[in-house]
Amino acid sequence: MFEDTIAERVRPLARAFSDGGLTRLRVREGEFEVEFRRARPALGGSAAAAASPAKEPAAARSVEAILADVVGIVRYLRPAVSEGMTLEGDRELAYVETLGIRNPVRSRGPGRVAMIYVTDGQPVEYGQPLFAIER
Amino acid sequence: MFRKVLIANRGEIALRINRACHELGVATVAIFSEADRGSLHVRHADEAFCVGAGPVASSYLNIANIISTGLICGADAIHPGYGFLAENARFAEIARDHGLTFIGPEPGVIAAMGDKATARRIMDESGVPITPGSGILTSAEAAAAFAAEIGYPVLLKATAGGGGKGMRAVESPAEMASAFATASAEAEASFKDGRMYVEKLIRSPRHIEVQVLGDQYGDVVHLGERDCSVQKPSHQKLIEEAPAAALDPAVRDRLHDIAVTAARAVKYTNAGTLEFLVDGPNVYFMEMNTRIQVEHPVTEMVYGVDLVKEQIRIASGERLGFTQADLQPLGCAIEVRVNAEDPENNFAPAAGTLGRVEFPGGPGVRVDTHVYSGSVVPPFYDSMLAKIIVTGRTRESAILRMERALSETRIEGVKTTVEFCREIMRDEEFQHAGLGVDWLPRYLAHRVPATV
Repeated sequence: MFEDTIAERVRPLARAFSDGGLTRLRVREGEFEVEFRRARPALGGSAAAAASPAKEPAAARSVEAILADVVGIVRYLRPAVSEGMTLEGDRELAYVETLGIRNPVRSRGPGRVAMIYVTDGQPVEYGQPLFAIER
Repeated sequence: MFRKVLIANRGEIALRINRACHELGVATVAIFSEADRGSLHVRHADEAFCVGAGPVASSYLNIANIISTGLICGADAIHPGYGFLAENARFAEIARDHGLTFIGPEPGVIAAMGDKATARRIMDESGVPITPGSGILTSAEAAAAFAAEIGYPVLLKATAGGGGKGMRAVESPAEMASAFATASAEAEASFKDGRMYVEKLIRSPRHIEVQVLGDQYGDVVHLGERDCSVQKPSHQKLIEEAPAAALDPAVRDRLHDIAVTAARAVKYTNAGTLEFLVDGPNVYFMEMNTRIQVEHPVTEMVYGVDLVKEQIRIASGERLGFTQADLQPLGCAIEVRVNAEDPENNFAPAAGTLGRVEFPGGPGVRVDTHVYSGSVVPPFYDSMLAKIIVTGRTRESAILRMERALSETRIEGVKTTVEFCREIMRDEEFQHAGLGVDWLPRYLAHRVPATV
């Protein structure tokens, strides 16, 4: 089970963490809890710091995983959300279809889509990560 | 036969169903809550889906997520096990509406048997003996009049009742007024339904139940009886056996006949159990359970029939593979429920992480369990950890074998019923057989002062 947890939950989050150039990422969901921290500031961060040395270091960015709260089929919206997209506010990202009912998946606030874990039409279980939103 | 069955349950029964499916060459889909991610039933299934958080309302009772899982996985049937949604007629109906075969009786039969008053009426009309009882009584005076007619002691019962709530034993006319008021108020508070009726109180009955199987073509057989009289003060069964020992052969035959007649009367399909109170030569229908029961293995062991496989076969449209004459019991089987409970403290349930776990083996021993060394017992569910079932050519040899099997059992980390049940196996009264449901509570009452 531990290997499964690593493969299903930790690896995708680690990828989001490293791809997003983050310094800290903490995800807690029921009994599952994982935290990543970068020993040194992310590359992007140090470049920015080099460009404007007088500026305070940017506050650590956090990433929130949006999880499925129902069992069903993921349906993308048209146009579909893409990685890197900036969200102005609380936006519907997709929906999960359960017994013909559309259960909207919302971003729960503004941010940037750091990661999309699911493809259009993919079946998902309860608690499965769908999107990672960088705040 | 089905291609893929969704198992809408957890714990040992989910594993039990998984085994039956695999032996039939049927693929399985497990469901689990976040608290059960590490459970054995998840590991053994071909596919597994998380359907919700730990609490049952969010997971094992989450009809939408469970049916949705079945559709996503391409399952063609759902086995509900026992407890949870097993006797929920609406769930059976929703499953059917979504093209999933519910492995159990028709939703209408589940609903009829689930309502106590309806079940009693149907059985009464079918000629099944029921405890003498009244209809709904609106006052203590009406209750007293009825009680005088059938004779004291009587049992005041709430029509919506369950778990002992809204129930009072009334020994004499003088107690009726206050008993009616408190029981009715309790029922009103618990079930928002304070309607009462009166039943004859049978002081020390045996709890004997009969297993039936019916197919979709009208064939019904019984697989004998089980004695489940060893019950905790909460009326939960602790030790069950098949056949019922020290039972008049005429009473035994009568129970079997009544069960088959009743099952035919309601056009019963799949596995079901009719529970009776037996008081000397008198038998009274109590209720019908429209599902597989926890204690089904004792019947399997003496009849050599896999009841869960039969359930699946029947639901898939197959005919019963045997006639009544083919079914001959052999020897005796006893089951002990190993619960995470403290017998020294009113069987208070416990949860936590188990330490070392060792189950018994050897001849004539069967263990149905979902736990292992280091596994977690979540606080949300039933406290049963395992069922230990033994067989013997005689009841005496089965008792000795159970004593031996329990002596090999080690479960560290939580208090369990293992040692307590071992003590019962050595008890002379238990060995003598034929005990009533009031035996264990009396045993406990006498035992506690001795151990303190």
